[in-house]
Amino acid sequence: MDGGKVTLGRTAGLYLGAAVLRLALFTLFPGLADLLTGRVEISTPVTSFKRLQEGLFLYDHNVSPYDGGVYHQAPLFLPLFSLLPSLPIFTYLLYIAVDILSAGALLKIADSGEAGSSALFTSPRREKRWSGFVIAAVFLFNPFTIATCIGRSTSVFTTCAILHAISRAVAGAPFSAMVALSFAAYLSMYPLLLLPPLLLLCYDRQLPERAIKPGMRSAATNILVVVGVLAALFQMSYLMTGSWEFLPSTYGVQLTLSDLTPNIGLWWYFFIEMFDSFRSFFLAVFWLHLSCYVGGLTIRLRRQPLVVLTLLLGIFSIFKPYPSISDASLFLAMVPLYRHVFPLMRYTFVIAAVIMYTTFLGPAFYHLWIYAGSGNANFFYAITLVWGLGQSLLVCDLTFAVLRDEWEVERPEMAGKDIRQI
Amino acid sequence: MRQLLSLLLLSLVALFFAPRASAADYHEQLVLRPLPLSALLASFNFRSNTTLSAFEAHNFRFFPRSLGQILQHAGTRELHLRFSLGRWDAESWGARPWDGAREGGTGVELWAWLEADTDEEADRKWRTLTNALSGLFCASLNFIDGTRTTRPVMSFQPEGNHPNSAMTNVHLLYGVLPHEVVCTENLTPFLKLLPCKGKAGIATLLDGHKLFDASWQSMAIDVRPVCPPGGECVLEMEQTIDMVLDIERSKRPRGNPIPRPPPAHELKCDTAKPYHSGDTCFPADYNANQDWSLSQIFGKTMKGTCPLTDPNVPPVCLQVPNSRGVYITEGATEKKNLDLVSRCYEIAPDTPEFEMVLPRPESSEESGQAVAVQEVVKPETPLLYAERSFTGHGQEHGGVQTILRNPSPDTKVEFIYMETLPWFMRIYLHTIEARIEGQAGSSKQDPLIQEVYYRPAVDRARGTQLEVRMRIPPASTVFLTYDFEKSILRYTEYPPDANRGFDVAAAVITILNPNPNATSPRFAAYNLRTTSLLCSLPTPDFSMPYNVIIFTSTAIALAFGGMFNIIVRRFVAADEGPEMTLTAIKERLRKRFGGLLQKYRGKGG
Amino acid sequence: MPRLLSGALRLRRDPRMLKLPPYLSLLCILVGVVWLFLLPLDEYSRRTYISENALLPGQVHTYFGGSDQNVFRAYKHEVNSLVGKSNVEINDKLESIVKGLGLKAGRQNFTYRSAGRVYSGENLYAILQAPRGDATEAIVLVAAWENAKEELNRNGVALVLTLARYFKRWSLWSKDIIFLVTPDSIAGPQAWVDAYHDAHDSARVDSLPLKSGALQGAIAIDYAKEGRFESVHIVYDGVNGQLPNLDLINSVVSIAGGQMGMGVAIQEMWGHNDQYPDRLRTMLRGMLKQGLGLASGPHSSFIPYHVDAVTLQPFGDGWQDEMAMGRVVEGTFRSLNNLLEHLHQSFFFYLLMQRERFVSIGTYLPSAMLVAANFTIMAIALWVKSGQPEGEAEPVKMEADGIGSGETTRAPAVERDLFLPLGVVTICQFLAVIPFYLFNHAPDSMLTPAFTIFAVINTALPHSLSHLLTTYYTPSAQQYQLIKSFSLLLLGMFLSSLATLNFSLAFLVGLLTSPLTFMRPWPQSPAMRTACTVLLNAVSPTAVLVAAAFAWHLDINTVLREAAFAWDVCGMYTPVVVWCVWWPAWLAGSVTVLGRPEVGKTKQKTT
Repeated sequence: MDGGKVTLGRTAGLYLGAAVLRLALFTLFPGLADLLTGRVEISTPVTSFKRLQEGLFLYDHNVSPYDGGVYHQAPLFLPLFSLLPSLPIFTYLLYIAVDILSAGALLKIADSGEAGSSALFTSPRREKRWSGFVIAAVFLFNPFTIATCIGRSTSVFTTCAILHAISRAVAGAPFSAMVALSFAAYLSMYPLLLLPPLLLLCYDRQLPERAIKPGMRSAATNILVVVGVLAALFQMSYLMTGSWEFLPSTYGVQLTLSDLTPNIGLWWYFFIEMFDSFRSFFLAVFWLHLSCYVGGLTIRLRRQPLVVLTLLLGIFSIFKPYPSISDASLFLAMVPLYRHVFPLMRYTFVIAAVIMYTTFLGPAFYHLWIYAGSGNANFFYAITLVWGLGQSLLVCDLTFAVLRDEWEVERPEMAGKDIRQI
Repeated sequence: MRQLLSLLLLSLVALFFAPRASAADYHEQLVLRPLPLSALLASFNFRSNTTLSAFEAHNFRFFPRSLGQILQHAGTRELHLRFSLGRWDAESWGARPWDGAREGGTGVELWAWLEADTDEEADRKWRTLTNALSGLFCASLNFIDGTRTTRPVMSFQPEGNHPNSAMTNVHLLYGVLPHEVVCTENLTPFLKLLPCKGKAGIATLLDGHKLFDASWQSMAIDVRPVCPPGGECVLEMEQTIDMVLDIERSKRPRGNPIPRPPPAHELKCDTAKPYHSGDTCFPADYNANQDWSLSQIFGKTMKGTCPLTDPNVPPVCLQVPNSRGVYITEGATEKKNLDLVSRCYEIAPDTPEFEMVLPRPESSEESGQAVAVQEVVKPETPLLYAERSFTGHGQEHGGVQTILRNPSPDTKVEFIYMETLPWFMRIYLHTIEARIEGQAGSSKQDPLIQEVYYRPAVDRARGTQLEVRMRIPPASTVFLTYDFEKSILRYTEYPPDANRGFDVAAAVITILNPNPNATSPRFAAYNLRTTSLLCSLPTPDFSMPYNVIIFTSTAIALAFGGMFNIIVRRFVAADEGPEMTLTAIKERLRKRFGGLLQKYRGKGG
Repeated sequence: MPRLLSGALRLRRDPRMLKLPPYLSLLCILVGVVWLFLLPLDEYSRRTYISENALLPGQVHTYFGGSDQNVFRAYKHEVNSLVGKSNVEINDKLESIVKGLGLKAGRQNFTYRSAGRVYSGENLYAILQAPRGDATEAIVLVAAWENAKEELNRNGVALVLTLARYFKRWSLWSKDIIFLVTPDSIAGPQAWVDAYHDAHDSARVDSLPLKSGALQGAIAIDYAKEGRFESVHIVYDGVNGQLPNLDLINSVVSIAGGQMGMGVAIQEMWGHNDQYPDRLRTMLRGMLKQGLGLASGPHSSFIPYHVDAVTLQPFGDGWQDEMAMGRVVEGTFRSLNNLLEHLHQSFFFYLLMQRERFVSIGTYLPSAMLVAANFTIMAIALWVKSGQPEGEAEPVKMEADGIGSGETTRAPAVERDLFLPLGVVTICQFLAVIPFYLFNHAPDSMLTPAFTIFAVINTALPHSLSHLLTTYYTPSAQQYQLIKSFSLLLLGMFLSSLATLNFSLAFLVGLLTSPLTFMRPWPQSPAMRTACTVLLNAVSPTAVLVAAAFAWHLDINTVLREAAFAWDVCGMYTPVVVWCVWWPAWLAGSVTVLGRPEVGKTKQKTT
């Protein structure tokens, strides 16, 4: 496994293979795309491609797409897709290109070796890692990623933006990193929570030739950049839709969960069964819970900001209001960066088994509930619970492994010994 | 006693003198039309006028005071209220009575033009109106809330003559309750509005049992201002009841309504069959039962005439070929019309009862079809046939398909198709498609869909409103389809019978009048409603809110607890670090607090 | 969460734990089987009961009879006069009759192609619009011209016509009633239901000219028997082993048995003394039918669309006549007519072991799940085991990851080389496409030879594969363990998912694959190896197929043709399970058995 040194030819071949595979799936199985678009595991109310088409249709016919209950996605998608030629093949190419861009960003992150040795910490195991090529391949050929791409869920754009934000930060270009992050936040809000660790990452990876700015100032400038870009984006959206009503209809829906369409997350059934008087309270609690991890992880893992980003992505893919398997695929794409701490993880087989089981049982139970009518909603809900638990187990295990890796630097003699936590 | 008698006498005199004063203010008429397949259409029509000036002056004569005050209070310019049940079988019964202008979709339908300066005021008045009417007609009209109210832009036009100055600040609101079951309690207040209160005249034939056993029935109330040329404007109120009775079913005696198999010798058999014998009988009794009488159909005879009615309008008309003989009680005179298919009956005011008998035609020995042709007037074909149904299965996605057929061989028909859908049916307008049967899509130069007005639904606030102006070429069938998504609701938003499904209101089809002129001033040449639909949504398990809350919270607690433990705790080797036993804890506590005690001692000493 | 598992973690270190799993999974299998055989006992099965109170079965008087008998005889004559005529002529006559009754009639053509054969015909159906009703709900009454055994359903069709005329007289129907006459019992109803829900491929099946509301239930009459009958037989198995709501069966039982006083039988148990053996036989028959997932009558096609349906067959010689049958249908329709909501209350997963005894999913599912679990247990055990250096007993902290190789943090390094095992398992899975495609697309005449050839290849395939493996890759014992572990994991996963969809199929496949759990390479003893190979070949899908065909006196050709037909028309997924779940697992197992790992060789190759 020759880490890092990847000839361009191999990478090009990889991208080509991924693109050909996707294109083949698009063209050889014409029904597949629409089938996957309809699956609740893939498209949520805030990322569904069919809803995007509806929004586009209304937008082209001068009906405000936000004056309705269907379209909840960012306004800038509308001009983007209405500029696209109407032939479906162009849409396919766009989505394939986005996937490959994400893979490229991932490859850069991997080859930078940031995961193994950050500015403040160097893992003793860092030699044992995979090249960016392998990691990009794992991402590109992950069934979840492929399904998301074929299902044309708009979350791939968020994924791409987040990965680019990280890769730019690693490359020591804070400005473009902040721009990418604010795009991600603009598309689907929750990436804004990634700002603190990303600031740290930018600070750590400042290029030496640039004058090392004190942390506060660089952070302030970066935050200003984010605010500025977001403001600009909102202004553009306002000018485009002619009113501010897109704000409640895009971000408000995520905050209040007014659309209760089932998905693989934990929110929908909870808020279907919630008593009306407590609804707003629990909404606040859930959002608080989602954001409370940011501080803790950022402080505890100060020395490895990239780890914090990875873990946060994992947590979001479990606990965000409208999660889909595309979030899981993003998290699973980041995990292999930590190949060197895999030996320290304890439940990998359990986790793999749980995720595979739920992947098969979920659609079966959903079918029993919705189509066969012989099962009820609890079937699918139970599977989403197990899915969430499996993923959270993976997050915990990764955290444990990374922390133990840190710990063994100060206690080298403890390698391989049994430990416990007090 | 004597005063009472005299008072009675006085009132009688008043009753008899009143009509002569202004007879043209009220008239009523019953039109009976036998339909194929042993059905009978009976349409009652009551019309009363009041001059606008008298109405403004709260001076109601024939106009019911209860309704009038409601209209004045809610600032209603024009009101249309419909109670309907069943479905009109256009294939066999042909065109609808009144060209469909006096009927609504299944359930209750209400639309009115309200006088208001702003939309908010209009909504407020609309709420007042619906609440008042629901009290008046014992219908749950008050459930017509924001999610069930729409403001059609193309489908409806005022029927009365309004001064253009008034039309500037008049709002049209339209509400429909598809799930409302129309029944006797709606009929009683309806009759109470009549001047004769159903005690005399054709209204005496109206009986809840018969009316609501009809295969199709529609009660309508229309209030509109009419300005006859040269005369002063009057407020015209028209009450209409149309019903299609199954003659065989209606003729059953009320004492024995169960359709037991008749004795074998009473079966009408097709004796032409080779195997026909005493115990084998191929039934030939379809579209028999063309012989009936008023008392058989309605369970009673007609009690004279309403003294207030306009004597120039014959109270009863019958539409059968002139060849058929009809027996009537004496005192009534028959007048055959020139069109050879209808005749009317004048009834002398002092006739106590009016009875009418249609005997079985003589030639009923021949095969059924020939008889059918002679017995009933051939119904005219409607301008358009419409049938709407759901496509797909499962409780996730679905589609609506409307099949529209233009029967006329040479004229194209242009109409407006209006849907008012509940918000939890999320329709995808980009999937709407109209195609002619046998063709790929609609042609470019003359598209089927001329114009679309669409107001998308907002969750829990407003329903979808879709109005499509279409033009269908002659002798062609058009499929209009679109997809929708079934959204899942909060468990408190489901009705008790959640698994029955949710009713979706009928689609309103208004066929435009190609050239509105003096003879046919209405802008709509013909109206029809499709049947309503039943949309089944995915249901959660209603029995376990607590379980769900507990399970989800547990999952979150596990994840959070795990992370929290890992983050805040220190690593030590398994064999080092303090033993977490009771003694150790005691030791630790003693160390800490012992130190504190020492300090205090030191301070003290 | 991790703390929960730390206990398991500590247990995993214990060497004794690794001896346990084979016995554990054996125990699972045994308990699963025993569990199944306990079910018919009174302690574990329950009496049926009506949980949807709106049904009120048997609470209404039924008036069908009297002079309707004469009408029935007349229609019977009409039907007899049509025997031998073409499908279109039959429909012409029937259409004229139903139109004469004042019903709306429609027709639908369908043409299915499967295994080189063409199944085509024309459905006729008539809609009785509910008086005062709105086209929101409907009930269906089906009579196939030919029943599943291809006997003429004379009485059934005549009875449907008579009932149509009788129902027309009632004014109490709250739902439309659809009368459907199909040329055959499987393809016709399937085509009609597909088209009714617009799930049809318009190239093969026409759309319906007129439709009604949501279907609430369906009753099919299969009355080919002449003369009077004694009891009525309820057929309730749907496609892919889906079952109708238990309330429907209960209502029919209580109407026919309670009200009409006629016997009721299920699963062709003509005589049923409510004792253990009969119960067990009924249950096993039911499970077999469910496991095969074939359409058993005109009702089967309705069930996948969440339309509860049963077929009623009279049998035996008694004093009940056609009118009694009609009254049963009338009573059932009156009950369905009472329904306010779609049937949702009672059970959809159950095993009937007598007409009034059943077990629900909560009671029987564990048996299938245990059988599926034994594979998972073994897979995990093998995984753990493969993490330990051979011949080294003392515990080693092991770990791994889903993709690449692992290592221990302590010398001697044992790492798992995952690429070869994963590759082998994946190849097995992909090979499965070949037989699946072959048997679903081969023409009828080619089926038997194709099967023979495939069977021969099938016996040779493991040998050649393992030969290739040993010559080119020389896999170690650990890798064989991993191959087995992965294939067992997949198998367990598929089966446990399948158990929720089609319990019986999952159970049967689980039993037939249970030997795979205990297969391991026998480098030293060729005897054991041959023995295992023979055993595996005995339980290979092909062998089982032949045995089954022989047991039911069918020729293999018919079996394969029926399977292909069911897959093409009804979408029965049993072939998928056999070829894409069972067969790959079997193949991987055989490869493992034939494996010759070098003893003591530990792979040092890093990936």
